[in-house]
Amino acid sequence: MDAVVVNGLCKTFRLPHEKRNTLFERITGTGKKGYEEFVALKNINFTVKKGEAVGIIGENGSGKSTLLKIIANILRSTSGSVKIQGKITPFLELGVGFQPDLTAKENIYIYGAIMGLSDKDIDARLSEILEFSGLKQFRDAKLKNLSSGMQVRLAFATAIQTNPEILLMDEVLAVGDMEFQQKCLDVFQRYLKEKKTIVFVSHDLNSVRRFCSKALLLRHGEQVAFGNTNEIIDKYVYGVDDKELHNENLQSESKIEEQKSMEKRTRWGDKKVEITDIKFIDKFGRENNTFNSGDAMTIQINYNVNAPVDNLVIGIAIYSDSDLMCYGTNTDIQGFVPNNTTGSNKIKICINNLTMMEGKFHLTVAAHSKEHIPYDWLDKQFSFNVIKKGNNVGLFEIPCEWKQ
Amino acid sequence: MNIINNLWDYRHLTLKLAISEFKLRYKNSILGFFWSLLEPLLMLLVLYVVFTNFMRVKVEHYQLFLLMGIISWNMLSRGTAMSLNSIIGKPGLVQKVYFPREVLVISSCLTALLMTLLEFIVFGFFMLIFNVMPTITIMYFPLILFIEFLLILGLSLGLAALNVYYRDMQYIWAVVLQAGFFAAPIIYPISIIPEKYVWIIMLNPMTRIIDMLRGSVIYSASPIFGDGIFILAAALIVLAAGYLIFLKLEPGFAEEM
Repeated sequence: MDAVVVNGLCKTFRLPHEKRNTLFERITGTGKKGYEEFVALKNINFTVKKGEAVGIIGENGSGKSTLLKIIANILRSTSGSVKIQGKITPFLELGVGFQPDLTAKENIYIYGAIMGLSDKDIDARLSEILEFSGLKQFRDAKLKNLSSGMQVRLAFATAIQTNPEILLMDEVLAVGDMEFQQKCLDVFQRYLKEKKTIVFVSHDLNSVRRFCSKALLLRHGEQVAFGNTNEIIDKYVYGVDDKELHNENLQSESKIEEQKSMEKRTRWGDKKVEITDIKFIDKFGRENNTFNSGDAMTIQINYNVNAPVDNLVIGIAIYSDSDLMCYGTNTDIQGFVPNNTTGSNKIKICINNLTMMEGKFHLTVAAHSKEHIPYDWLDKQFSFNVIKKGNNVGLFEIPCEWKQ
Repeated sequence: MNIINNLWDYRHLTLKLAISEFKLRYKNSILGFFWSLLEPLLMLLVLYVVFTNFMRVKVEHYQLFLLMGIISWNMLSRGTAMSLNSIIGKPGLVQKVYFPREVLVISSCLTALLMTLLEFIVFGFFMLIFNVMPTITIMYFPLILFIEFLLILGLSLGLAALNVYYRDMQYIWAVVLQAGFFAAPIIYPISIIPEKYVWIIMLNPMTRIIDMLRGSVIYSASPIFGDGIFILAAALIVLAAGYLIFLKLEPGFAEEM
């Protein structure tokens, strides 16, 4: 059974040069004329089966939220169709319709009604809601006198009492403190276990990987891919199948950044050997600077030998974003002799398994002599990002297993 | 039929919104809902003094005549004015959740109805004070009030939807209401209108509605069947037209706000 079928969906927004908001302006023709069309979604096709969880991923402005709102029937498509089987519960924002001047208890009933709960349903669960949100002693306080955190907890505790058939979630998990997020995740798990249909928009690739069996990747309003979550996330992270656009952007951006910082005081050496370029290469052989934890990464170092040198050593060091040195090695330690013929040369260091968990990492690349006389030292001039895979925590993955 | 069935599913939400809005109206003022009663009474006082002393209007039970006119007209002006804001005043509900948007307009009209019912309770006390007892004809009162409610709902649906696209609708409507207050026989009886202009006044369904409400409660007069058909037809036409406008404009609400 299909719960959501999206077919050839397009959405165009009209962006007037100046909004005509009154009848007066309309009749007299004042206010600037004309509008620009903005294509927010272009030919989207996908199907969510009953009991399936689908994640929608993409950069900011790629049309994720617009798509969710069209599924929720808040916005209407320009063309194409959305077919829904079952009752939709949107969690696009918590606490919609809260009345600050009414009490917490009254608001539970109003918000419950908006989320589709009857008074009877709420009567039966009132104490549970108050318990869960930790607001028992504030039940008769006006909502405006509660902290914003309390209000969010109250909204969440009420919202999860609904019995959705199709749940639409937009970054709701991203608000609140750690404890609250954990509670959200628990509820999410519960819904998954109960085989609810879920459509989930998130920037947090890790939660998409964890909860969703399928994912939809959007870029600039176009559907890049739909399918198995892991493959789709690979496409998102590495930009595979993309029309080079993504990579070019990335390249030129990072190059400019490099060039700017190249000349800073964090570069030293007598330039007998000069490092000319650094490339991070992903498992598909493409240049990139974002990698999944556990995947392969190759660092290609281009260097120019300007004057004849003996004992050339090329080394790297990796630092975490908090400036902790994670790892360092060089050709000398590993017993490799790099080419030192005059002119341009290339050397690669292949990492089969990126063991760092997640975050931004900085790379130092250096060419120096065995006696540690620097020829060209680029201190933390380059960086790459690692995206988490799995649920372990910490800085590094340590391969291990449990036994009993 | 489908639409009505669909709306029926949301009756609980509609009532909840109407009642919470009603509560909110009086929550922050010291005198609570007495304020809402004070307003028509003060208006009554001013108009009564002016019209009995200066204009020399001769109507039996003029105080009750006037008060009934004010209360039933207020229901229309309050209902439409509140509805005008019912959609643009709640961006969260329009842009973040989905339920039929009609719910917002209907609940605003219901809030206005609740406030009017309170005023009618006061009207009852006034009848006691002036020693006017209603007769069996009062059974027509709820029916006429219901027809007025349908009329208000029709106007509100159209106006609320138009107001999303053209924000000056609310100012235009305020002027129309102002004119309507004097164009309908609220402060004067129809009998003072020259014979040849009466038909114009009678085109306004509110003329007959106010007249019939007065007749059924104060003067123990049964409504004329033809008048009843006229106001029912007028209310249904306005309701259909208003609802059509609403349905036509509704898909763009979330974008236009």
